[in-house]
Amino acid sequence: MRERFLTGYNDFVLPFLIGMVFILTYCAIGLIKIILQLPKEDRKRFFISLVNPKMIWKNIKDIFCKCLLHVDIWKRNKLLGYMHSSIAFGWFMLIVIGHIEVFLYVPHRAKLLYFPIFFRYFVAETDSTLGGNFLFFMMDFFLLVILSGILLAMVKRLRSRFFGMRRTTNLSFLDYIGLYSLWCIFPLRLLAEGFTADISGGSFLTKSLNHVFTAFLGNHTNMLPTWWAYSIALGVFFIVLPFTRYMHIPAEILLIPLRNAGIRITNARKGLAKAQVYSCPSCGLCIDACPMGVMKTHIKDTTVYLNRQIRRNNERRIEEISDKCLLCGKCSAICPVGVEGDKLRIAQRSIRKYGISPDYSSVNTDALIAENSFSAPSGSKVLYFAGCMTALTPKIRKSMEKVFVSAGVEYEMMDKDGGICCGRPMLMAGRVHEADEMIAKNMEIIKASGAGTLVLSCPICYKIFKEKYHLEMEVLHHTEYLDRLLKSGKIKVAHCGKRFAYHDPCELGRGCGIYDEPRAVISFAGELVEAEKHHKESICCGGSLGSLTLGFEKREAMVRNALGNLSTGSPDVIVTACPLCKSTFDRYSDKPVEDIAETIANNLTTSTKTL
Amino acid sequence: MDFGFGIAPSSAVNLDSVDLEKFERLHTAEPDVYKCMACGSCSATCIAGRFSGMSVRKVLHCLQRGKEKEAVSMVKGCMLCGKCSMVCPRGINTRHVILSICRIYGEETK
Amino acid sequence: MKPKENIVVIGGGIAGLEAAGQLLKLGYNPIVIEKQDHLGGHVAEWNRLFPDMTPASEVVKRLIDQSSEANIFLNTEILFINRLKDRYNVMLSNGISIIARILLFTTGFRLFDASKKEEYGYGVYDQVITNRDLEHWFNNGNDKRIDASGMKAVGFVHCVGSRDEKARNPQCSKVCCITAIKQAIEVKQKFPEAMVYCFYMDLRMFGKKYEDFYISAQRDYGIRFIRGRVSEVSENIDGKVIVKAEDTLAGKPVKVTLDLLVLMSGIVCNPDSAKITGMIELPLDTDGFLKSRDNVADITASPKEGVFYAGSCTGPKTVPETLAEARSAALEIHSYLKEK
Repeated sequence: MRERFLTGYNDFVLPFLIGMVFILTYCAIGLIKIILQLPKEDRKRFFISLVNPKMIWKNIKDIFCKCLLHVDIWKRNKLLGYMHSSIAFGWFMLIVIGHIEVFLYVPHRAKLLYFPIFFRYFVAETDSTLGGNFLFFMMDFFLLVILSGILLAMVKRLRSRFFGMRRTTNLSFLDYIGLYSLWCIFPLRLLAEGFTADISGGSFLTKSLNHVFTAFLGNHTNMLPTWWAYSIALGVFFIVLPFTRYMHIPAEILLIPLRNAGIRITNARKGLAKAQVYSCPSCGLCIDACPMGVMKTHIKDTTVYLNRQIRRNNERRIEEISDKCLLCGKCSAICPVGVEGDKLRIAQRSIRKYGISPDYSSVNTDALIAENSFSAPSGSKVLYFAGCMTALTPKIRKSMEKVFVSAGVEYEMMDKDGGICCGRPMLMAGRVHEADEMIAKNMEIIKASGAGTLVLSCPICYKIFKEKYHLEMEVLHHTEYLDRLLKSGKIKVAHCGKRFAYHDPCELGRGCGIYDEPRAVISFAGELVEAEKHHKESICCGGSLGSLTLGFEKREAMVRNALGNLSTGSPDVIVTACPLCKSTFDRYSDKPVEDIAETIANNLTTSTKTL
Repeated sequence: MDFGFGIAPSSAVNLDSVDLEKFERLHTAEPDVYKCMACGSCSATCIAGRFSGMSVRKVLHCLQRGKEKEAVSMVKGCMLCGKCSMVCPRGINTRHVILSICRIYGEETK
Repeated sequence: MKPKENIVVIGGGIAGLEAAGQLLKLGYNPIVIEKQDHLGGHVAEWNRLFPDMTPASEVVKRLIDQSSEANIFLNTEILFINRLKDRYNVMLSNGISIIARILLFTTGFRLFDASKKEEYGYGVYDQVITNRDLEHWFNNGNDKRIDASGMKAVGFVHCVGSRDEKARNPQCSKVCCITAIKQAIEVKQKFPEAMVYCFYMDLRMFGKKYEDFYISAQRDYGIRFIRGRVSEVSENIDGKVIVKAEDTLAGKPVKVTLDLLVLMSGIVCNPDSAKITGMIELPLDTDGFLKSRDNVADITASPKEGVFYAGSCTGPKTVPETLAEARSAALEIHSYLKEK
């Protein structure tokens, strides 16, 4: 290889260079800003994680798998996975191989930012080596891979259904500019390298192109405009990038190590929240996932639009979107980049100003402790906290009592005559301090009981008990507790032969990762049939306390949709493990709906154990 | 002229002098507030009521009769657990009503 | 002689029987199709009727007697109905098919399933029964849940599954207020020592002599009326039920321990009638009941040619209202056929 120009420069590199410098500066400033916005503790944690060898490896692996190979999207949808990884990984390889070529052939130009990008323009082939051919082949190969990805992307824009997506995002104006410039980059590169293929060499793609269209590509007067066009496409893409969804490319590289360092959202707009918002690729997977999506009017209230409105600082829409959400967490569970739509919304709610602050000083915990008249502390004692909602579904409480008696355990009911709310509904409304007050009061009562195990029936309570209550006792949801009793043989149930479809309550499944225990419990009593969407893909019942603004009548379509999902396996009974899901489903279901505790209590075989 | 004694302020509600400006704002935020038929389900099921006298029914009633202070002191006891929205036969989104009251009616309310 | 015109009467409750009797008198051949094994529908299961405490069995017997000439199919369901040119072909589950120009819907109502309001504990606690269960007990004195020996306090919950969007029935069921008062009086008559409470949202005493009934319940029987909807029911250690409500007049929550709680299940549209209306595409009104041609002037006519309604298939109705409507529907059918 030799250089064609002594200067190693041509004006056409300018658009690219301007774009590149702009985007690098922008990202550098953004990076520093986000890191500075992190709370001190988090920042320290983040820096430590960056030098921890284990974390370094994990970060590199994650960035490679997620940003370049898009493993998560592959798992969901092969075609979509290929489309993303072909463009991302292909482009990455072009850059890498481009640099290798520069280092091999013109190492003194390596410091020029643009040289590896426009390498072919600046050099001419002198002799062909095997190594050279191999690199040329790789360059053409990856270019072809990218082009196939771009073609798929074009098809997707026209017919998203081919990709299994019912709905995609509406792009903004700048998004379209970014999209078209991205689509232009690689065909233009092919064309540009097609011109120079007879000078600087090429492989199966560029060379053949040059041979086939000799009349046009052999004419070198057309060459420079094409390289200009290529450079302009790159420049435009880089310049609009920060203002488009393509910002997710650099942002995700930051988000991955932040997440790996265990940092949580503490500020509605800054730090991790900002990194998440900018990492949103607007892919729209959350639109189809959102349980509110059954009604067209709610499509613009999905996480992808929340991220867009946060970027635009549209406070009115941010409030609307944040308050409407059911906080079922499904968008977070399926998000390929890890935007936590539910937590992001709680954070938005938490910055709201209220003229009235709750005051719980009148709640006298001593009186409540006295009212419960707890027996002497004992490690084997079980304390049962039914929760507010369970007061409206007395079958659950009654079933649990039956189970306790049958298992012969010493148990006490904590909130038989009403108690204090667990705080989770308050937390969901973003009022963290108020929730903390309730937590403290409840902890006092629970500690006074001296029980060894706390059993809860409501997943809403369970989640906050797991996360925010610091109790020196075991905290179990009743699904876990029943599983344990059944497996240890403390209670026995008869297999009733019915088909049970299990609904994963949001707070229990996605919220706390409890998926296996309820299924094991049901299998003791009958045949478990899975819904069409289950585990982390389960559809919210529609009754969630997460939503602040969704009124009762607006939820019906969601409930029916969730019921339809559960009915796919034609079950005899729909089983859930949440009092709220139960009441919600029971209202519209033509099949019986029961809590898992009822399923077990109904099928208990009389235990020989004596109390 | 001061005769050394005053007439005790009337305990009657004078609807002519009730200022409903804030209540109208509340109604805009949550149109459901007009749907209450005062059945009392919310108050009966309320877990906070036994500690603080909180009652969504009474709060809505007081606000419409100009007794804002009374309403605000009740709202402060709310734990936002959502039981009232579960039992309301009119399907009123009580949690949103309460949060909207907390935003619209400040502590300084008379 | 010209054979008598067939008229298919769907439902053998009081509306169907009254209409059949009237149609017989007018010279038609009514064919009554009843799904159950007895005639008289809900009224046949009732004990006494307000406001004069008429035994329900007498009313039903009179109706059966006057329609005895009609063709009556018990234990029979409609498999399908299809529209021929100007008549309907009705296929029955007993294999018979009927061709008729006129269909009269007297499909009635269904009592709301009280177990759907789980917070009231029907099917959970033994001491919670419904208005229908109580009438059954009045009829045959046989209900394990009712312990006649120690009846100290009894409660009635109005509006169970009516005026309740959560129960998907925002309508007022119209007859439960007066039924509750009637039953409260009857309970008090049986257990003079017991306290009897009625938990109501509004008392709707719209009919003839209803207000008298209410006054009598207050004055003569000392029934306690508490204005507040029950929100939840729990159980105490002795197995009694504890009812929580708000006494909205006092503005204070009330709690009371009861030996028996009676839920006044409301009236909802009979789901079977929705099945049949689907066959000939009859519309439902926004309240879930069958839609009349006009809710003021033409309540017994459907928007479809030759299809008529009578009784509570178009909305909750009292016994006298239902009977009057059945007569009116018979007359309407008569003049319709005359004009043809």
